[in-house]
Amino acid sequence: MEHHASLLAKWLTQVLGLAQHPWPGFSHGAALSILERYDHLLNAALAALVAMLITGLVRKNLARIPGPLQQVFEGVVGGLKEMLNDNIAHHGEKYLPFIGTMALFVFFNNLFGLIPALSPGTSNWNVTLGAALVVFGYYNWHGMKEQGIGKYWLHFAGPIWWLAPLMFPLEILGLLSRILSHSLRLFGNIAGEHVVAGIFFGLMPILLPVPMMFLGLFFGLIQTFVFTMLATIYLSGAVSHEH
Amino acid sequence: MKKFLTTAFLFTLAAVAFAQGAPVVQKSLFEGQFVAHLSLAIAAAGCGLGQGKAVVAACEGVARNPQAAGAIRTTMIIGLALIEALVIYVLVAAFAIK
Repeated sequence: MEHHASLLAKWLTQVLGLAQHPWPGFSHGAALSILERYDHLLNAALAALVAMLITGLVRKNLARIPGPLQQVFEGVVGGLKEMLNDNIAHHGEKYLPFIGTMALFVFFNNLFGLIPALSPGTSNWNVTLGAALVVFGYYNWHGMKEQGIGKYWLHFAGPIWWLAPLMFPLEILGLLSRILSHSLRLFGNIAGEHVVAGIFFGLMPILLPVPMMFLGLFFGLIQTFVFTMLATIYLSGAVSHEH
Repeated sequence: MKKFLTTAFLFTLAAVAFAQGAPVVQKSLFEGQFVAHLSLAIAAAGCGLGQGKAVVAACEGVARNPQAAGAIRTTMIIGLALIEALVIYVLVAAFAIK
């Protein structure tokens, strides 16, 4: 895939006067500054910053009679809490901080595709792979903590002892391929949507991209929901005790 | 109609004749961009059929028992995401082909 740095990265390169040089084996040796090369990290960091600022603002201005922003956030947190309680028996709310953080990070990253001069951080595989790896580490860690290390790894072997040599490698393979599917789904959806919006913009920059951008808003929301929901399901599979 | 077809055929021949002036690197049809687009089309067709079946079942479920709409919707979206992931894999592979 061709590398297209966001306008923000190009502008920052000019303003800060950063050196541009070719990167070996990347984008056909085009001269890029460090910000243009690691554009996705710039945008992901910016999205995280925006998410933190907005949640900080809501938290500072908590009121008994909620304003519009607080109402939106109460709805989001309530929905996440409900989802966790539905999927994880007894102690779902314990994982709300992590799941909520992932949801906000992914959501703001997805929405960055709609803002001119920015590109969504999640349209680069490195960012989504990072998010999926964090989720992977988190649910394995909590699975081992809840069930005990031995019991957690033993449950991959299945209930029948003589099938264990067959089941264990398969289950481990399934566990590892979750990282791939979890990250590629988010990356492919957001990158594909962004590319199509870009092509529409190239055809006619006025009015034509608007429906596509509306679709992008919808997809961003749905993909955030799917990412969060799958993280919850993986977590519930890891921490639930089998009776 | 016959005249039109003859003209079209002659134009095609002319295009071939003109193209032979420039040195052409022989390239198979089944490599590069073409195969990426074709595989994406096949994947999208299969995904459309599968998602259609899923949505039909969900609609029937909601029509019979509207109270279960929330749970059915959540399950349907998860299922749709898993089906769509297959097309997304092809899309990622198509991105990788240059």
